[in-house]
Amino acid sequence: MSDFFTTAILVATAASGVRLAVPLLFASLGETFGQRSGVLNLGVDGIMLLGAFGGYYAVLQTGSVWLGLLIGIVVGMLLGLVSALISVTLRAEQGISGIGIYLFGLGMSDLLFQKLVGTPLPITKFPKLNFPVLSDIPVIGELLFQHSVVVYLAFLAVPVSMYIINKTTFGMNIRAVGENPEAADSLGVSVNRIRYATVIIGGTLAGVAGAALAIDLGIFQQNLTNAQGFIAIALVYFGAWRPVGVMLGSLLYGFVNAIVLQLKTLAIIPPDLSDFAAMAPAIITILALVVVARRFKAPAALTKPYSRGE
Amino acid sequence: MLEMRAITKRFPGVLANDRVDFDLRAGEVHTLLGENGAGKSTLMKILYGLYQPDEGEILLNGSPVEIHSPTDAIDLNVGMIHQHFMMVESLTVAENVALGLPSNRGFRTDLDAVSERITELGTRYGLKIDPSATVWQLSVGQKQRVEIIKALFRDANLLILDEPTAVLTPQEVDQLFKTLRQMTEDGRGLIFISHKLHEVLALSDRITVLRQGRITGQVPVEGATRESLARMMVGREVKLAPDKPAVEPGRPRLRIESLTVLGDRGDEAVRSLNLEVRAGEILSIAGVSGNGQREMAETIGGLRQPTSGAIFIDDTDVAGKTPAEIRAAGLSYVPEGRMKNGCIGAFTVSENLLLVDHQKAPYVKWGLFDFGVIKEHSAQLVKQYAVKTPTLDTTARSLSGGNIQKLILAREISGTPKVLVASQPTRGVDIGAAEYIHKRLVEQRTEDTAILVISEDLDEVFALADRIAVIYEGQIMGMVDPATTSREEIGLMMAGVHPETTSDRP
Amino acid sequence: MKKNRLTWLIVVLALVLVAAACSDDSGTTTTAGDSDTTTTAGDTPTTTTAGDAETTTTAASAEPFKIAIVAPSAQNDLAFTQSIVDAVNVIKDEMGNVEVQITDNTFIVEDAASAIRAYAVDGVDLVIAHGSQYGGSLQEIAPDFPDTAFAWGTAADTFGLSNVFAYEAASDEGGYVMGAMAAALSESNTIGIVGPVEVGDAKLYVDGFKAGAEAQNPDANVLVNYTGSFSDVALASEAAQAFAANGADVMTGTAQMVVGAVTVASDVNIIWFGTQANQTSLAPDIVVASQVYHWEVVLRDIIAKIEAGTPGGEQFKIDLANGGEVIEYNDAFALPADVKQLGEDTIAGIIDGSIKTGS
Ligand SMILES: Nc1ncnc2c1ncn2[C@@H]1O[C@H](COP(=O)(O)OP(=O)(O)O)[C@@H](O)[C@H]1O
Ligand SMILES: [Mg+2]
Repeated sequence: MSDFFTTAILVATAASGVRLAVPLLFASLGETFGQRSGVLNLGVDGIMLLGAFGGYYAVLQTGSVWLGLLIGIVVGMLLGLVSALISVTLRAEQGISGIGIYLFGLGMSDLLFQKLVGTPLPITKFPKLNFPVLSDIPVIGELLFQHSVVVYLAFLAVPVSMYIINKTTFGMNIRAVGENPEAADSLGVSVNRIRYATVIIGGTLAGVAGAALAIDLGIFQQNLTNAQGFIAIALVYFGAWRPVGVMLGSLLYGFVNAIVLQLKTLAIIPPDLSDFAAMAPAIITILALVVVARRFKAPAALTKPYSRGE
Repeated sequence: MLEMRAITKRFPGVLANDRVDFDLRAGEVHTLLGENGAGKSTLMKILYGLYQPDEGEILLNGSPVEIHSPTDAIDLNVGMIHQHFMMVESLTVAENVALGLPSNRGFRTDLDAVSERITELGTRYGLKIDPSATVWQLSVGQKQRVEIIKALFRDANLLILDEPTAVLTPQEVDQLFKTLRQMTEDGRGLIFISHKLHEVLALSDRITVLRQGRITGQVPVEGATRESLARMMVGREVKLAPDKPAVEPGRPRLRIESLTVLGDRGDEAVRSLNLEVRAGEILSIAGVSGNGQREMAETIGGLRQPTSGAIFIDDTDVAGKTPAEIRAAGLSYVPEGRMKNGCIGAFTVSENLLLVDHQKAPYVKWGLFDFGVIKEHSAQLVKQYAVKTPTLDTTARSLSGGNIQKLILAREISGTPKVLVASQPTRGVDIGAAEYIHKRLVEQRTEDTAILVISEDLDEVFALADRIAVIYEGQIMGMVDPATTSREEIGLMMAGVHPETTSDRP
Repeated sequence: MKKNRLTWLIVVLALVLVAAACSDDSGTTTTAGDSDTTTTAGDTPTTTTAGDAETTTTAASAEPFKIAIVAPSAQNDLAFTQSIVDAVNVIKDEMGNVEVQITDNTFIVEDAASAIRAYAVDGVDLVIAHGSQYGGSLQEIAPDFPDTAFAWGTAADTFGLSNVFAYEAASDEGGYVMGAMAAALSESNTIGIVGPVEVGDAKLYVDGFKAGAEAQNPDANVLVNYTGSFSDVALASEAAQAFAANGADVMTGTAQMVVGAVTVASDVNIIWFGTQANQTSLAPDIVVASQVYHWEVVLRDIIAKIEAGTPGGEQFKIDLANGGEVIEYNDAFALPADVKQLGEDTIAGIIDGSIKTGS
């Protein structure tokens, strides 16, 4: 155990936890917007996969990680639009239609990968930022100032989301539409427009999450996300539909994963227990979810399509 | 200022509005009166842009307008207060008011400016409210104020109020009416919807009556009476208050002694309550809902356990017994939730009529139902109580509220009970059915039954009661004679003001 | 309003059709003349046929030998599934008149089972169920088709069925060889191994690699991390970072998620040994060598048995001795001659039995 509690290992583990949290954070922040307005999008993972492939392919072709991220954004927006079309305009059952988007993304991303790439080829990764002075501070430097740029983008998205949800008229409309769409409608707030906006935001961030994952790993493979999109949805509940909560959830999940991984590496968790240990992040997150989320209420109109009753 | 011409609106299977003409002048209150389902809300939702009419046109200040959405309506200075509160419970008052309006800080909210105006409007119209309070913390009366502020905030010149008084206490209604009058004095026009006749008479300038989607009369308030309005609503003569032949009350048959009952949240809903109901009398409990009347009724019926106290039916203490034991002791019970506790929706009419007596002769012979006898008995009750049902085998849930209530009443009264407890017997029931239910309850007095009626509708309380007990916070505030007491006095008692301090009667 | 709804409906319908077209059900078979054209989709298993009828010079009347593969991951995963697909293609080139059908991505066992059954019904001569998890399905299906030969790998059990062959790889042997080279190359004496779950082929390989490293250098610190997933690339990547943090300067790993670990190794210049397929293309600078499976070695024997009228009942194993396992070196990697010699000596030792891999 003493091997684990060395500064170098602790710092490396923490950094690993942060990296693992990043795609989850993007995706769950996006999903928070949708759910706050009453739309559950179960298709996050599918959008992430297509965003991941789009981003990967763009980098493979051009070598520009920024173009890759942009493609992730565009793909995410388009799929967000499709999701909104299905769940808002067509008022489809949200539990089912999201799975459709997921399966579409899973299949389509792999199909495109096989057609356009075939054998996995590595791509350029995001540059790691190097802040003068700051990055060189021992411990703190490695912990906070040596990450790749998407890490900072993800954590910057948290206060931005908070501000939008709590301090802007758009955010107020989101909250209103998610709690009582009838009331919002009666005051001239267009329920559909708000929901389109939030679902597209959700799709965009899912696309970013996927692109960030692929470009950070420098590779694409079938089902690259390995269901992280579904974990992101669970984290929205865990985070009680609040950006900070969602961030804490993502970090918890990332850290538990990183710690388990590190303990296995150091053989503190022996190999014959490692399959059990692999379930730890999910179990711990679910337990935390049960404890934390019970005290908060979901948006009252979550999963309920809205129509004026004509 | 408003003219609606020949508005027609169809829903699948229902003609909700049939060539309805309606107009409104600035500075007046024009009431739309009609039974549940008459089409009042539909007409107003059309005016507010929530529904589109199939035919007809709308003119505002002389020019034709198309109102496709609430946004259009708001732009035309039309405001609406819905039958059900249209508020986001998790937002604050200020946020609810600001919702949908542009902020003068661009995309950032400007809630402090909104709060300021709310306070301003509140002072002017007597609508005191804390703008920073979260809506779920507010009482219904306060929520109602927020709804009005929302409309005023949007400069509504024409305000639709769809049954705004349904959930208010008499005092709150008075306060609301004051506010509304002040609004008409400002030159605003109000459309008021209600089916409470005395309110309509108190507030309106003109009254339009709607029945089954059609206008059946339009009269100025002068000369209108409750009876004349009721006739237009129902389409025939209605007796609003049943004839009450004098019945000399006998010995007390229901005695409640220092009864204490806990409510759902563990608080004391009924506190050392004492009450006596005599044979041949109707005692009405008046009170604002949530003052312990539901818990009291449930305890009498055996659906809730008392923590202390006694309930005597004749000389048997039934406190804490099971519903079956209490029924055996002579109680009949018409519960408040007619679909929840009163009947089984999936059962047929005749099964529901049999629910209580199903284990007894003559319906059961040698352990088996005797369907011949059952059918005969049900048919007779359905006829006697004028339950409108296509067949005896129709499921209860497909009947209208009034007919379900008659069905329950038929079952409960037919056994000639010693004590009959009826909770909200006509809530949500149309006037015709209510008239019939009242008549039945009054008749039951001659059978020596002690009848306890619990109602939030003061009209009903006055129409039925031989004596009125006012309940407040789980205790009886006072016992009064309806013949010598005014609505206002009872209203004050309902709000917790002791009768001694207000009444100078001996 | 109504019209609007209709437009949307058409849009969605179109979308659904596109999705449906992209992911054929496992029951249907698409035939392509050119063997290079392969279609794959992730969500539902995809079936591809490479008929190659034109290039066949044998009499057109001769029935082709039909081989079908059912495998859990993508056919070009640079790992487990690709190894069998490559092998069957070799057989096809050798024999000529062979028709190959592939259903890949059947990570759901039920999908695999229905594909296996469908091929049997279609009269395929040899159905290869490439995944130890398909054993139960095969045990149910094979008795229903006594005239069809089935091959199941990687496994050692034929269930006593006369029409099931079992095949496996002695992946510990290649692992041992590369482990020895890894220990010789390591300067920090710390070596990292990423695995999926501790079973089957992966466990054999990991244990062999570890034994080889420790035999070469008893002081070597061999770190093993089973991430718990065959598909979680991010976890494999983080496992590699954890090895790096612990000072590892040589790594290896098995199963298809290791691509995540390879790119990390490449970033921090840690050398890498591959297995199941030649992984040089993933990171040309750092891959030393890969253990490559040549299942064609056992497939040749299996097909010979079938043509001789024995549709199953035997077990086969590829290893260094029979040439089914080959260590392929990356020519671009400057491998010191003595280390390469160590590798060759170890191979020879294993083949002649003087070296035991420990299993
Ligand atoms: N959205 C709707 N869909 C179908 N029928 C409706 C709808 N809204 C109202 N109705 C029907 O139209 C009739 C009038 O309803 P409403 O206007 O709500 O009556 P009121 O407000 O007078 O009680 C009723 O029969 C009701 O069932
Ligand atoms: Mg109504």
